[in-house]
Amino acid sequence: MLPTSQYEVQEAVLQSSVPLRVRGGGSKSALSTSSSGEAVLELSSLNGVLEYVPEEFTFTARAGTQLSEIEDMLAQNGQWLPFDPPLGGRGATLGGALAAGLSGPGRYRFGGTRDFVLGVQWVSGTGDLLRGGGRVVKNASGFDFPKMMVGSLGRFGVVTEVTFKVFPVAQQFSTMVLECDSLNDALEAMTRLSSCPLDIFSIDIEPPATLLVRLAGEGRALSLRMRRLGELLGDGEILLGEQEEDLWVQLRDFSWLSPGECLIKVPITPAVIPTLEARLVGEKSQRRYSVGGNLAWIGWHGDVNEIDIILSESNLSGLRVLGSAGAAWVGAPASAMAFARRVKDVLDREGKFLPI
Amino acid sequence: MAARRFLSDLAAIFPSDRLLTERAQLIPYESDALTAFRALPRAVVLPESQDEVIETVQLCYRASIPFVARGSGTSLSGGALPDEDGVVIALNRLNRIIRVDAEHRLAVVEAGVSNLAVSKAAAPYGLYYVPDPSSQSICTIGGNVAFNSGGAHCLKYGMTSNHVLGIKVVLPDGDIVEMGGESLEGVGPDLVGLFVGSEGLFGIALEITLRLLPVPESYRTVLAAYSSMKDAGDTVATVVASGLLPGAIEIMDNLTIQAVEQSFDAGYPTDAAALLIVELEGEANQVEQEFVELEKIINNSAAYSVRSARDDIERSQIWKGRKGAFGALGAITQAYIVQDGVVPRTQLGAVLSEIDELSVQYGLRVANVFHAGDGNLHPNVLYDGSQEGMLERAEQLAGEITKLCVRHGGVITGEHGVGMEKRDYMREMFAEVDLEMMQRLSRAIDPRGIANVGKMFPGQGVPGV
Amino acid sequence: MRHNIPVEHFGVQGVAMATTVENCVHCGLCLPACPTYQLLGQEMDSPRGRIMLMKTALEGSLSVEEVRPFVDKCLGCLSCDAICPSDTHYGELLLSFRAYTEEKGVRGKLPEFLLRSLAVETMSHPARFRIAALLGTLVRPLRALLPDRLGYMLDLLPPMMPTPTRFPEIIPAEGERRARVILLTGCVQSVLSPEINRAAVNVLARNGVEVLVPPGQGCCGALAMHVGNARKARALARKNIRLLTADVDAIITTAAGCGSGISDYKLLFGDASDCHLAAEFAAKVRDVHVFLDDLGLRAQFGKTQSQLLTYHDACHLANAQGIKQAPRRLLKQIPGLELVQLDEVEMCCGSAGLYNIEQPELADQLGSRKAAVVLKSGAAGLVSGNIGCITQIGAHLRSLGNDMPVLHTMEVLDRAYNS
Repeated sequence: MLPTSQYEVQEAVLQSSVPLRVRGGGSKSALSTSSSGEAVLELSSLNGVLEYVPEEFTFTARAGTQLSEIEDMLAQNGQWLPFDPPLGGRGATLGGALAAGLSGPGRYRFGGTRDFVLGVQWVSGTGDLLRGGGRVVKNASGFDFPKMMVGSLGRFGVVTEVTFKVFPVAQQFSTMVLECDSLNDALEAMTRLSSCPLDIFSIDIEPPATLLVRLAGEGRALSLRMRRLGELLGDGEILLGEQEEDLWVQLRDFSWLSPGECLIKVPITPAVIPTLEARLVGEKSQRRYSVGGNLAWIGWHGDVNEIDIILSESNLSGLRVLGSAGAAWVGAPASAMAFARRVKDVLDREGKFLPI
Repeated sequence: MAARRFLSDLAAIFPSDRLLTERAQLIPYESDALTAFRALPRAVVLPESQDEVIETVQLCYRASIPFVARGSGTSLSGGALPDEDGVVIALNRLNRIIRVDAEHRLAVVEAGVSNLAVSKAAAPYGLYYVPDPSSQSICTIGGNVAFNSGGAHCLKYGMTSNHVLGIKVVLPDGDIVEMGGESLEGVGPDLVGLFVGSEGLFGIALEITLRLLPVPESYRTVLAAYSSMKDAGDTVATVVASGLLPGAIEIMDNLTIQAVEQSFDAGYPTDAAALLIVELEGEANQVEQEFVELEKIINNSAAYSVRSARDDIERSQIWKGRKGAFGALGAITQAYIVQDGVVPRTQLGAVLSEIDELSVQYGLRVANVFHAGDGNLHPNVLYDGSQEGMLERAEQLAGEITKLCVRHGGVITGEHGVGMEKRDYMREMFAEVDLEMMQRLSRAIDPRGIANVGKMFPGQGVPGV
Repeated sequence: MRHNIPVEHFGVQGVAMATTVENCVHCGLCLPACPTYQLLGQEMDSPRGRIMLMKTALEGSLSVEEVRPFVDKCLGCLSCDAICPSDTHYGELLLSFRAYTEEKGVRGKLPEFLLRSLAVETMSHPARFRIAALLGTLVRPLRALLPDRLGYMLDLLPPMMPTPTRFPEIIPAEGERRARVILLTGCVQSVLSPEINRAAVNVLARNGVEVLVPPGQGCCGALAMHVGNARKARALARKNIRLLTADVDAIITTAAGCGSGISDYKLLFGDASDCHLAAEFAAKVRDVHVFLDDLGLRAQFGKTQSQLLTYHDACHLANAQGIKQAPRRLLKQIPGLELVQLDEVEMCCGSAGLYNIEQPELADQLGSRKAAVVLKSGAAGLVSGNIGCITQIGAHLRSLGNDMPVLHTMEVLDRAYNS
């Protein structure tokens, strides 16, 4: 099925007799690859920007619009989505970014997908074409279905149109790369940053002990701020310009993954990182810790069941992003899944979409 | 279940000094800040532990008795209006700050903790809680969560929902659910996001994990006076277009300025048609650099008087009037209806002119104070309730303004929520199928229809004045 | 807020009461400022709730008896008025409502009423009060055997009753005479702490002020007003109004309670035949801090030590009269004196007129809370501008085992001049 309008999507949902797996650009292979007994609802043709008023700091586009197209459009007007949803280079779409709830390292400063989505048009499992939220940056009317969709993987319904808030893009960036003596040192340095008044854009850790701190700004102020950062952290290499940009693009696009490695997103807190690292070092895996230690990306070479057990043991939940077909969520069950099922019972009574 | 049996069951949970049933005890709870609506509940309970709240909800479920959770009763949309057949669960005593984790930048608090108390507890660590509704000295986190409260800093930092990491909820059927957690990130659907702003229809948040941010190192606050609202609006557009992202951009009209100056001496020029407050915040170096640019913009604008705060005291002075504006209106009018529509920023000028025309048409004054940065208007319709028919006329005008906002591409409420007040206007924004889906969801989570009934959805009864 | 109060039924005070209700927008910003709401955590014991209750009683939908328990617990500290964004003037509603209920003969429970009347009758008359206080100090060892109420009152008495001071009728100015004033000696203060007035006279004289202290003065009526006995309050006030007629630049009071009470004379006298005289009198009354601050201190301080003190704002100075900076400005002129800010600086200490007698448990909680905050500040001494606060906080500090000096601003200045 390749609908080109929301009505065709509605039709597809009503007609379907097997659970639908919704696919945007197929960039998140573990989530887009279907198993038997499913049908794929492909939204790549449901694309196009419907409204963009730069002065309003908002845009509305069809769910199948490619992230790269959006990024270009925004950049031309000096704007962007600061949380930098990943996999744009692999054809990720707006709707997919929303449904998977993925954010890049820029999430640290201003928030992630959930903090920038304003409104959705969506088709429920009951075949209704619905609206939630609005097109303005501040809204308290009705239930917050836009946020509910974030991370819902198309299990409640399929988003056909989405409105996002945007921000003015920063003029310049500068990154300090600090090679620490140990992971604990790196974490401790990160802790020192957490309550200092520096406006930090991203904080990532590349195991074993490399701390990456990114500032956004411009001009003389940026240099002064970098100097302050140095006083706080010590001597690190300072990156600017293209080299700096490349570093973060690579992180965002997961260029550090080895071929054949699958990618798992694991929400985490800094306190738990040492435990996870200790458990995974030596295993066939790579890790990156992003968003100030709130987000772990695990590259996993081995059996999915193994990582499932490892995460469960540490009471961590994970989302498989890149990999083969199979269960989307691994590790400990995400909080409130029983409640989520109650919600699904209303929105998708007949199971037109995959189960939660 | 007979009322008497219900009350005696409540008495098994609460000692007599925390179970209020006499008229003199109940009357102060019959209304929140929207005094046009009043209803006397059967009882008010004052729980001091989460268990007491849970037991009460479970009892209400067994007995099919409606309940309304109340924080400090500061809702401007009637969110804490009691149900005459039900009980008010006053949560102001459920007020422990369970912990502040400076390293992870979070605080775990009970529902009755006041908004400002969170920032006070975080202050020793150089952190604060960002959402700052004007009622923050007394409004509770529980209430903020229920209504997704905003404040003046929403353009840059978002609303309550963007600062809640996790919640422990008692559902209307008495089940306990923990949503979210301590991480900024999550997997699975954003149920916390769904719960925040559900206006009490999904149960009661008992314990909330909040995100904290570092206290801005430096503020630069500018107050500029304009002889026309249009000029003020244009300046806002220029500021925003320049790429600056101020922490707050506020505008007050002349009527509001007069009310404020009459109530307290904020030092606002009383002849200004519009006063603009722009505040930059962040690292000192960055703010100073941005301030140079902001100054240029303001000085090149049509402002006839500009004042910049040189220290904290002057900053408080500039904000004092704005923060007390709603209350100050009480000095120039017997009563008023606060509206809360949002419009796309580029539509502000057009909408304000139309509000002016409507005001003339209805013969009622409208005092405008608004968050110009995010397009959230607060047109306050002033009226004298002692005069026959005035309340009705004021309500009509308020309704027209709300509809006007939606017509221009906006929404009916930016931060006060729908509550009692804007139920009927939900139809302006949402199609029947949208409302049906929301109500279906509400009924699934609240099968006996006891959680804050009568709110949010159109076509329901109204407790009178 | 809308209301159906039949304003005409309540005479002149009806308008004041109705206006308060009208101005209140029910926003709740008064709740965090209200000591009883902080302690009791229920809406009926907040200004917003009390306005609602008084409104309902005035409308006739609730009886005064039903509303009284909550209105009675109000301290009258006016912290709510100070913070209200809407100019509500809760204090006027409270004063008028209490006067109305007294007139109606709704006196509450008999023992309470007797106790209150006894208190007013005693405390408003220095001679009687002195005897009562002396007796009190005598029975203090038997405190454990006495009913709690009396016990609380006894706790407030100073360790030793001071000898009374008899002032000369005229105290000349030192050096060039810059002003001429009458000193209001007050009632309770002149018995419990005559040294405050002595200090004030000294400070005034040193700064070139001639002070008249006419004998035969009495209570200004504030206490009686506070409990709603308007008739008695007017009677007491008239005594002073008729006596203190000398031609002076100001009539000085060192007691915040008096200054505040006198500023309410207009409301108290309403449309009585001598309301003009009362208003004229009130217009001449100045709090000693404001007077000295305006005049400017000129006298030389002695050799002062460095000291860390903290200043407690009496509600009747800060909230009722808006006097906050003048006392601080005066203190900061003393060389070596450093002032540290108290936490919860706006919260009432619980003294509030007869509150200690009427609501001893709450007064006790507030007093302890204030004493704890004073100890936390690290100050070596407490300064305040009101005898009630000085008595209350002093007693609670002592019960915590701390004997730091608790002094009136005038005493601190006087000591600095004498050192």
